[in-house]
Order: sequence, then structure tokens, then C-alpha cells
Amino acid sequence: MANEGQPVTVQRVEPSLNPVQDEDLDQYGEELSGLTIVDVDVHVDDTLMFMLDYMEGHFRKRMETVLQADFKGEPGNSLRNMIAHIAWLGSSYDKPPRAKLATKEDLLARMEKGIIDYSILFPSELLPIGYLPEPEWAAALATAYNQYMVDAYKNLEGVKIAIVVAPQQPARAALEIDRHAGHPDVVSVCIPDAGVNPPIGDEKYWPIFEAAARHDLPISFHGIEALIHDNYPLRVAHFHTLMQVNSMGFPFTSMLQIMSVVCAGIPVRFPNLKFAILEAGLTWMPFIMYRLDAAYLRYRTELPALEKKPSEYIRDWYIGTHELEALPRRGDLAKLIDLYQGRDTTMWASDWPHLERDLIAGFMRYEMDDALRRKILGENALRFFGLTARK
Amino acid sequence: MSSEKPRSGSRRPRRKIPVARLSDFPAGTRMEVSVGSVQIAVFNVEGDFFALFGRCPHQSAPLSRGRLQGTVICNADTCWETEWAHEGEVLVCPGHGMEYDIRSGKAFGYDLRLRTYEVSVEDGQVFIVM
Repeated sequence: MANEGQPVTVQRVEPSLNPVQDEDLDQYGEELSGLTIVDVDVHVDDTLMFMLDYMEGHFRKRMETVLQADFKGEPGNSLRNMIAHIAWLGSSYDKPPRAKLATKEDLLARMEKGIIDYSILFPSELLPIGYLPEPEWAAALATAYNQYMVDAYKNLEGVKIAIVVAPQQPARAALEIDRHAGHPDVVSVCIPDAGVNPPIGDEKYWPIFEAAARHDLPISFHGIEALIHDNYPLRVAHFHTLMQVNSMGFPFTSMLQIMSVVCAGIPVRFPNLKFAILEAGLTWMPFIMYRLDAAYLRYRTELPALEKKPSEYIRDWYIGTHELEALPRRGDLAKLIDLYQGRDTTMWASDWPHLERDLIAGFMRYEMDDALRRKILGENALRFFGLTARK
Repeated sequence: MSSEKPRSGSRRPRRKIPVARLSDFPAGTRMEVSVGSVQIAVFNVEGDFFALFGRCPHQSAPLSRGRLQGTVICNADTCWETEWAHEGEVLVCPGHGMEYDIRSGKAFGYDLRLRTYEVSVEDGQVFIVM
């Protein structure tokens, strides 16, 4: 297999401790150059300490108390890490390098490689916001996060922001949308999947959808592991390992949000509102679309607002490729996308720099026509987030 | 994984690729070797050399950057009790944590074996044989 003529290089290397590095981008740099690449799910360090200055009154005092807690050297006061440490103590015995939080400098260094045109920043720390029991606390955190993000990450080439809302207080969530929708770097409203009770189609949340539709700001649902809570819809009460939470929790919550929105007739009431689902994989999309269609035959009268089959609404939803399931054959991804009619809605997402991030090599190994690859890597995301091509 | 065709007779001359002087390749270190487009990870584990295919079949992360540690096993030999084993001989992919037996290339929990390469040391020079 080795021909004499092949060039040989030898390099001494060290074990990688920081998955923030993504050599895979370099590996595919040439192949990707000239293509529009939008990474629709990127996370930066947004631990609570950054929000302290944006908290007011008694919430600020409470935040100061939280920040004094020492959780064994975990970077300050990470709500998620605190929960994860207690509930799932060492479940993966630190197997891969722990997910490092990406600083602004890490993000800029990644962008400077010149491969990715846009990174869309989604919250990390506030993804569990839906199951914070105090609505006022959740809303105050969302307000602080949004203001921090637009202050810290504005006017950066190719960096765009999804603001987060606390579904517990829909009226205040609508105000958040009103406040930030005009910001040139704000491109979406993030509603975390988990802990939203009652489900997100409920009439009480309609002010959120009204506000987003008013500003033509797309809604992105973002998956989040259950960690410790056992509330809606399928929580840790049903799972005994983190693997089960991760595998089933994300897609099930996503499917439930889609079903809830569609069955509530929200796409009919807000026909211009765009939706995306992030961090839940893809393979269940045909299941929820055509399963609902089958039931629709029998139960249509329960959903009198719908003007077409559920799948014909769901096929308009955009979907991020992360956490891409491990499809065994190289042609499988294109077949799957065909099955859920997703050529114009599937968007590449890495979840960088989180532990479970998808390397771009994982996507590039799947065979598909060039037009589809271009759509997934960037064109679909440009349309969803209302961005202009930079190349 | 895709099945590799049996290499009938394998008469192709084997090529020895120099990796490093033994003195430059002490125990506890590793080298990333590229031969054309093929990447190979070479390890010195307490004086024993191991060379494996250097890209994780999952998403192509570079295995030369993986940590070496142990892992949990549970089988008939352990009477189906979960035990920590193979300390220092499990290569953990830096991408998402797939684990490989550094001696055999066998992936723990997968019906999958990385290609391994013979390593020879001659006159103070470490080679891999392809």
C-alpha cells in the first residue's frame, strides 16, 4: 500500500486536551473553500458570571450568592455543570476531554480560518431555563443573557446571535423579542426544548410567536438534556444513564414540540413564521411527519385549524444536522433527507465546542449531489436566518 | 465497516518508513506519521511500540492525539461484574471518545478493528512497516 514515491511526514504530538481545536476544518479547508458555510449551532462561554452585571435588584444579590459556590474547580458557577455533577456523578469518567467552554478569542480564531462564513451563537448555560421553577428568575436570566450577548458579541464578522426567552413568562418573552429584534446581529429566538410545560403550542405562549412573527424573526428550538428534572415530556424518571437521556430525550422533546406547534395550528395563524429544530438529530423526522399524517386521517376534526396534512407543515421546518445519527452507509443521509423532503431545510450544525460536537468530516463522508451539499452547508441557513452570502 | 478485500498473496514489496531515532522517541510519547494521505499513530508505551491507523472511523478525528488510559469491562471473565482494566493501554479518540485497545486496534464495544502496523527498531532507528 505504501509506494516509494509517497511523501512521508513525521510529527511528535501530544494528547489533545481541548476539543476547541478542530483540525478537521483544516483537513477539509481546500474542499470547502469557495462554499458558503454556516455553522448554525455554536456555543461560547456564557456561564453565570458573565451575566452578573446584567442582573438587577435582588436577582443580582442572589446571583452573587450562586457565584460563591465552589463546585470542584468547574468553571465558575456553571449551572449545567452543577446539575450534571450531582445527578450523573462521573458517568462517563471523563472519557473524552471535557467540553471546554469557548472564549471569544477561541471563536474568533475559528472564524479566522476563513472556512466558516457565519457562526450562529446559541445559549449553553440557559438551555435548562425552561425548567427553572421560578418564572421571574428564569425571565431575569434570559434578559441578562440577551443583553450580555449583544454587548459582547456584536459587530463581529460572521458572528450572529440567537436570543433566548423564558417560556414561563410569555409576555416578558415577547418584550425581549421586541427589544432585540432590530439588532443587526440578532437572527433568531431560541426556545429550549426541555421543561416547557404545558407544551409550547399552548395558547399561553402565543405572545412569543406573535412577537417573533411581527419582527420576522425565526424561532429555533434547541435540544437540552434533562439532567435532573422529571417533568414534561420524558425526563430522567424514565432513564437511568446519561446515554439514555441523550439518545432519547433530545429527539423526543423535539418531536413533542413540533407536534404541539403544528397541532395547535400555529403555522396557520402565523404563516410567515419560520421554525428550526437543533441538536436532536434527523432520523426521526420521517417518523413524526408521517405518523401524524396517519393519525390525521382519523382525528382531523380535533385540529380544525389545519388546512393541510401535518407533514406538509413540518416539511417547512428547518433542522440542524447535529447530533447526526451514525448512519452506516455513505448514501444514507441523502436518502433520509429525501424521505423527509428536507433538501431546502437541512442545515449543517456542529455544536462546537461541546463534547458531542460533530466534526465536519462526519458530514463530508456522506455522499450526495453537490447542489444538496451546498444547500446543507450554507444556502439553507442563509435563507432561514436572513443572512447575505459573504463569499 | 466496509470489508477489506483479502490481499491475495500480498507480494507487494513492504516499505519501511523511518519514524524517529529511538533516543528521540522515549516512552510516553507518540508520533503522527503521514504517508501520502494515510495517517498513522505511533506510540511508545513503556518501551513497547504500537502503530495504528490514525483516523477514527467515526468522524476522522486524529487518533495520535488521543489519551491513553484504562476502561471498564464486563464479561464472563469478570463474572459479569464491571471492572476497570487495561490501564494505560486504551487509546481514547479525542473526538468523541471511542476506545481502542492499543495492542490490537480492536474497538471496545464495536465490531471494528483498526489496522495495525508492524514496528521495528534497527540500529537505534524506529520504523513502521507498510
